[in-house]
Amino acid sequence: MKYCCIHCKKCWNHPVDKCIFCGKEITQIQETRYKVIGYTEVFIPSTGNEKVPYFVNFLEDQGGHKIFQKSFQKYDIGKIIDLKEDTVQNQQIGIVGSGLMGVQLAAYMIQYGFPTVLKTRSEDSNRIACSKIQKIISKRMSEEEVKKSLQHLTASTDYTDLAGCDVIIEAIAEDITLKKEVFKDLTKVCKPSAILSTNSSSLSIDDLAGMTDRPDKCIGMHFFNPVHRMDLVEVVIGSATAEQTKSAIIDLVVKLNKKPIVVKDSPGYVVNRLLLPQINEAMYVLEEGIATKEDIESAVKLGLNHPMGPFELADFIGLDICLSILNVLSTKFDNPKYQPSQILKTMVAEGKLGFKSGQGFYSYGGKKS
Amino acid sequence: MNITGVGRTKFGILSKSLVELTYEAMFNAIEDSPLDINDIDAIYVSNFLGGPLNGQLHFNSIIASLLPSINIPIIRIETACASSSVAFNQALNSLKKMPNIMIIGVEKMTGTKLMSPTDAIAMAGDHEIDFEQGLIFPAAYALIAQQYMQKYGVTHDILELVSYINHINANRNPLAHFYHKEVTREMIKNSQMVASPLNLFDCSPLSDGAVAIIISDKKHADRDIRILSSRIATDTISLTQRADMTSFLATKIAGAKAYKDAGITQKKIDVVEVHDCFTISELLALEDLGFCAPGESSTMIENGDILLDGALPVNPDGGLKANGHPIGATGLAQIFEIVTQLRLEAGSRQVADPEIGLTQNIGGIGGTCGITVLGR
Repeated sequence: MKYCCIHCKKCWNHPVDKCIFCGKEITQIQETRYKVIGYTEVFIPSTGNEKVPYFVNFLEDQGGHKIFQKSFQKYDIGKIIDLKEDTVQNQQIGIVGSGLMGVQLAAYMIQYGFPTVLKTRSEDSNRIACSKIQKIISKRMSEEEVKKSLQHLTASTDYTDLAGCDVIIEAIAEDITLKKEVFKDLTKVCKPSAILSTNSSSLSIDDLAGMTDRPDKCIGMHFFNPVHRMDLVEVVIGSATAEQTKSAIIDLVVKLNKKPIVVKDSPGYVVNRLLLPQINEAMYVLEEGIATKEDIESAVKLGLNHPMGPFELADFIGLDICLSILNVLSTKFDNPKYQPSQILKTMVAEGKLGFKSGQGFYSYGGKKS
Repeated sequence: MNITGVGRTKFGILSKSLVELTYEAMFNAIEDSPLDINDIDAIYVSNFLGGPLNGQLHFNSIIASLLPSINIPIIRIETACASSSVAFNQALNSLKKMPNIMIIGVEKMTGTKLMSPTDAIAMAGDHEIDFEQGLIFPAAYALIAQQYMQKYGVTHDILELVSYINHINANRNPLAHFYHKEVTREMIKNSQMVASPLNLFDCSPLSDGAVAIIISDKKHADRDIRILSSRIATDTISLTQRADMTSFLATKIAGAKAYKDAGITQKKIDVVEVHDCFTISELLALEDLGFCAPGESSTMIENGDILLDGALPVNPDGGLKANGHPIGATGLAQIFEIVTQLRLEAGSRQVADPEIGLTQNIGGIGGTCGITVLGR
């Protein structure tokens, strides 16, 4: 937006009502079409611009008014771009499940302008999910932007509302039987071109694809918690996943300003195959009395430069999830090295699930234990 | 109106604090001057980031604490990187009422914890609109460099040469930030990208340092240097409000006024200090000050005109690039160098018999410019 005095031929970047030179009314100029006249790729992070590199584009409208615009996409000099304020993405996203990840994924999608349908189990969970989503996006957006973003959100208990979606991300509990049911249901309601993806952190894409009429359109999209801060998405390719499905999902991940890595369908994919054995080993080290919990945390934080220690991280992931991933790894690879530690099995059996239950390796105040 | 004493600290990553640096520069200036500290009628202090980086505002009172029982007027001036040439200008305007004034410029930029220097320096731009779009300082100068390279068909090579020459000069200046650093063209060329097309060696460093200068309405000694002009001009801070991206209008305006005050043209200038916070800025300065036509500074530089023994030696102290850029002290450091050159006291970096010298000190992306002309 520019504020110009057409009599004095002067323009302001900040809002002014009247021209201080002649006293006349100001004309507001808001263009959406700009020509790229320059750009720089910036490699130094600053507050609010933590993710680098990014581009600062130098744009000029037909009247010669110039603005800067930040982007993660590179534009060639001379290109004409349209900066419509409410850019609505042309893909509709369906999210199944309104747990920790489902809610964050829906919030993230609408922030990026994707019309999103959130499928939940009950009207109650609909209400709770919507208020959580509003809370999440309010932290990062102005009141007006929040209002606009929420218009992209539909919460529904009815599977048929997913009929128009182009990409589905299933984000229910990490349970193969339940997930198979969801994929079976999705086949019935989704349009034939829809891509069915799962946010599973370790389960087999092929097992889920087998439940559908379109194994070529089934794929894994493994996001990480917290979604807005973790930049990685594991794109998991099943044995039948089509090249087209893979490239469509990679494009989507890039549009979401995240980094896709391509992983073959294999237990734990890459991240959890590396992480869970380490967490598990930390528990063995503790059980064997090699070092105290605090010293093991310090070893990993200060010796390996990880931001969190293994016990803190396990609590944050959820001890039940850790156990279930380790069970998948040890069963599928049939290798004793993945055998979950006794301490983990005991704690899960006692209902100590980490942060979400209020008690894990640490106590979390204010939460029920 | 004369400069009757100059003092500075070394520039670089220093162990001394903001306050200690200030004291050292004041002490050195008084040592250098025939005047006594009790002769000083007022002090103008220039400091940019004392608040955000050092948690220290009301800095004039800190200076009063360093000069117990002196109780004179002390005033802080802040115009980003141009703070100290503007403080010099304001002090000069006050000489009619207060015959001896000290100007101090100081900045402590390293080892601070309150916020990142990148964020702090960005405060010199339009924080609400331009910084929101990721326009940190190197990015703004990178856009200027890109526009310049596109308009005049020059490559990054010329910027590398500017950086190289400044480093070579700094190797002859024991007080320079990079006095001991040996730099090659390959190091410059291959340094990491900061904001394309500018890489690390296009950028001045974060430096600590202080400079103090004493001015007087009378001549006190043969070593005194005459002040022929001090002018300041301003411009919109956002490049989006400007017609020309490859020139700083504030430099042109302040420069023209300064030449007029001094009764000279640019041809009379024997040595110059320009504000090369980023290498591209040195090219703009040579053109805006009229030493060559727009687009021709690269020829001047390639011809060796700006070397210590060239037709117009530029930045004999190493410039902001290699002498260092303790922001609030930079404009005074330029004046310190010209005084040293005009007194013929510059040692191995002395240029041949200069009579008139000029400094150009920029704030923000050309939002403020201070020009000072000095003569023997």
